Amino acid sequence: MAFIGQLSLILALILAVYSIGANLYGVRRNLPELVTSARHAVWSMCAMVALAMCALWAALLQSDFSLEYVASYSSTTLPTIYKITALWGGQQGSLLLWTFLLSVFTAIVAYQSHRRNPELSPYVLAVMAGVAVFFLGMLNFVTRPFELLATVPREGTDLNPLLQNYWMAIHPPSLYTGYVSTTVPFAFGTAALITGRLDDAWIRSTRRWAIFSWFFLTLGNLFGARWAYEVLGWGGYWAWDPVENAAFMPWLVMTAYLHSVMIQERKDMLKVWNLALVGLAFGLTVFGTFITRSGVISSVHSFTQSGLGPFFMAFLIALVVFYTGLLLMRLKDLRSQAELESYLSREAAFLFNNLILVGIAFAIFWGTIFPVLSEAVRGVKITVGPPFFNKVNAPLALALIFLTGVGPLIAWRRATLKNLLQSFGSPAIAGVATGLIVFAAGVHTWYALAAFSLSAFTLVTVITEFRRGIVARCHMVNETPPQAFVNLIAKNNRRYGGYIVHVGVLMAFVGIVASSYFKTEVKKSVKPGESFAVGPYQLKYLDLVPLDTPHMASLTARVAVLKDGREVGSLAPTKIFYKQPEQPATQVAIRSTPASDLYVVLAGIDDKTDLVTFDVFLTPLVFWLWAGGLTMAVGTVMAMWPNAREREAIAAAARRRAASVMAVEPAAPGSD
Amino acid sequence: MRVKPRFLLGGGLIVAAVAYLIYTAVMNTAEYYLTVAEVQARQTELQGQALRVAGRVVPGSVSWDPSSLTLGFAIGAIPEPGASAVKPVSSVSPASPIQQFRVLCTGQPKPDMFGENRDVIVEGRLGADHAIIATQVLTACPSKYVPKKPS
Repeated sequence: MAFIGQLSLILALILAVYSIGANLYGVRRNLPELVTSARHAVWSMCAMVALAMCALWAALLQSDFSLEYVASYSSTTLPTIYKITALWGGQQGSLLLWTFLLSVFTAIVAYQSHRRNPELSPYVLAVMAGVAVFFLGMLNFVTRPFELLATVPREGTDLNPLLQNYWMAIHPPSLYTGYVSTTVPFAFGTAALITGRLDDAWIRSTRRWAIFSWFFLTLGNLFGARWAYEVLGWGGYWAWDPVENAAFMPWLVMTAYLHSVMIQERKDMLKVWNLALVGLAFGLTVFGTFITRSGVISSVHSFTQSGLGPFFMAFLIALVVFYTGLLLMRLKDLRSQAELESYLSREAAFLFNNLILVGIAFAIFWGTIFPVLSEAVRGVKITVGPPFFNKVNAPLALALIFLTGVGPLIAWRRATLKNLLQSFGSPAIAGVATGLIVFAAGVHTWYALAAFSLSAFTLVTVITEFRRGIVARCHMVNETPPQAFVNLIAKNNRRYGGYIVHVGVLMAFVGIVASSYFKTEVKKSVKPGESFAVGPYQLKYLDLVPLDTPHMASLTARVAVLKDGREVGSLAPTKIFYKQPEQPATQVAIRSTPASDLYVVLAGIDDKTDLVTFDVFLTPLVFWLWAGGLTMAVGTVMAMWPNAREREAIAAAARRRAASVMAVEPAAPGSD
Repeated sequence: MRVKPRFLLGGGLIVAAVAYLIYTAVMNTAEYYLTVAEVQARQTELQGQALRVAGRVVPGSVSWDPSSLTLGFAIGAIPEPGASAVKPVSSVSPASPIQQFRVLCTGQPKPDMFGENRDVIVEGRLGADHAIIATQVLTACPSKYVPKKPS
């Protein structure tokens, strides 16, 4: 297995290097056969990396401890599902997964774009192969997944118990897919800069990739938060840990890009900005991998501190220099004729939303690298924790929510007073009314009031948009409102899918604000039979139930949940003690309702007395964070869904291009 | 895109607002992240400051009262890892033995991984009596999950 894996990684590296050379040489010297061969090399590279993945999986499933990786991250007693997920349980395997996804995306791009974008395609593939060369180089020479052990141990040291969770099968692959797919817009942007074909062909070809990437970054972050919520037992879901920040920053930049790209498509503005954003998004994913792998910044995700740091740093610097250089070189050609006319315009709203999103990303970046900076400049390590990130981002988030409401409704170019009143009259009333109601209901925190008011404002703008569309369809094509609703989304899926994403954002935002401001925590040590109050609930601790298996021992506390003297449910928070290796872990019990989550942790068991310590959180509306996240995902799928009109436009563009290519070079490439 | 000066003003305002938020938040929330040895060296100036201190739990120093959720222990320096052969000789052993600090943390459950000789990060303030009044004790993951490489 090790031999097959190692061999296929070396072959993949050779193929990637060849593909760069053949693509560039072929397109410069106009040798279509060479470009075709380079494309085939990309496909073969993908097959080789896939083979390496299978080899590592096979070794994991067979518990082949002659491989250092298998011995470090698996064991014979590990359940099969975690043997499979152990592939990304450690550094070498994670990088292999990165490389695998990259080569799959490269192969797909090679297939899609050689007809659609014959001029850009060789450069795009060369860039992607270049990134693959870096990662394959790491896998072949620096951090080898198929490293053999001199003495083969009888048993492996097992996957960290914290990673033995079903989210392990879901969260890392989603996040990695989101991360790696930012390479595609980056590669197209680079190709556009190299060739000087700066029209929006590169944008149209990568629009769906960008949404795809955003979709998985959204899910990756959401799943990570949910995993932390279910497993870590501190009642929260986001700790502004460097690793979380690393996953969140590309999301923010991609969000900015998905919006600013609309301005370029409609108004031919913001060309430099868009190219900068795709570069930034990709740079941040590499930066994220760098900080999680280098140990430069300490994190609760205690990964292996490895010698990878300098390599990633060098790669990152090379990327930044190369891309900035290209951008500066083409700056003259990227001037646009259109200009911003008024603050009160959709262009301006989008521009400001972009500035805020990038501003948030910058603030997070700053806070993440602050310890390193302060140590370098002042000689003292000063950290900023969650309070820093919350303080900076809270007001920016409010502005963003406001612009989410304004952007889609305000007129292009220049809004008139009439337009403003018409569009924002009822949303503004809804916002003020919500603020008053919430205030009357006893919420007197100014931030929460502002947050709920603005969310209502923005929600009503979205509803207004839907209502307008539905009314129009009912009149024009004579449909019933439900039909009109469905067709409205189906015919304009990009726009209305986007609105549904906005609704999801609002739900998540309300959930985040409520759970941050109105969470109550009760810590209590009690004996069997005793009860204590948490908000409107009475929790009665009944007894402890022990369980013993070869893998672990556990103690489960049985807790009855009472409300107004009536039993409404039971919870079973558990403390687990893994035997090999010895490590305790917590299994949180959650009673989730749309109104609030009752979150019970069995925090401690005292052997001498009968006392058991519970840590209980009552978190209002946190349900809506998860519901909102899923709504965002659903809206994104709608926006991504191929629609007939767009397919027609792409096909037409391809035909036009093919015709012009045929006219220029009659001896076009043969069958392929 | 050509931008008229009056629009630069708007963009500039946003940039300035972000910069201002970052500046004030850093001023209000920054904490020193120190090792036990560093705390010892600058004790007087750190009095009453918000700190994060990394150290190792001293064996035999732990007391835990589950009914009042009071955790007391002492932290000492984390020894240099074995792979530090490259380290310059001068920094290996300071002449004076490194002091230990008492830590008192109330109102928090004892962390799962907490134990003697475990590496912890203590968040809190340095009191007048050289004890750290902690608001939180975080345990680092035990290092045995990290594969050790001979090279």
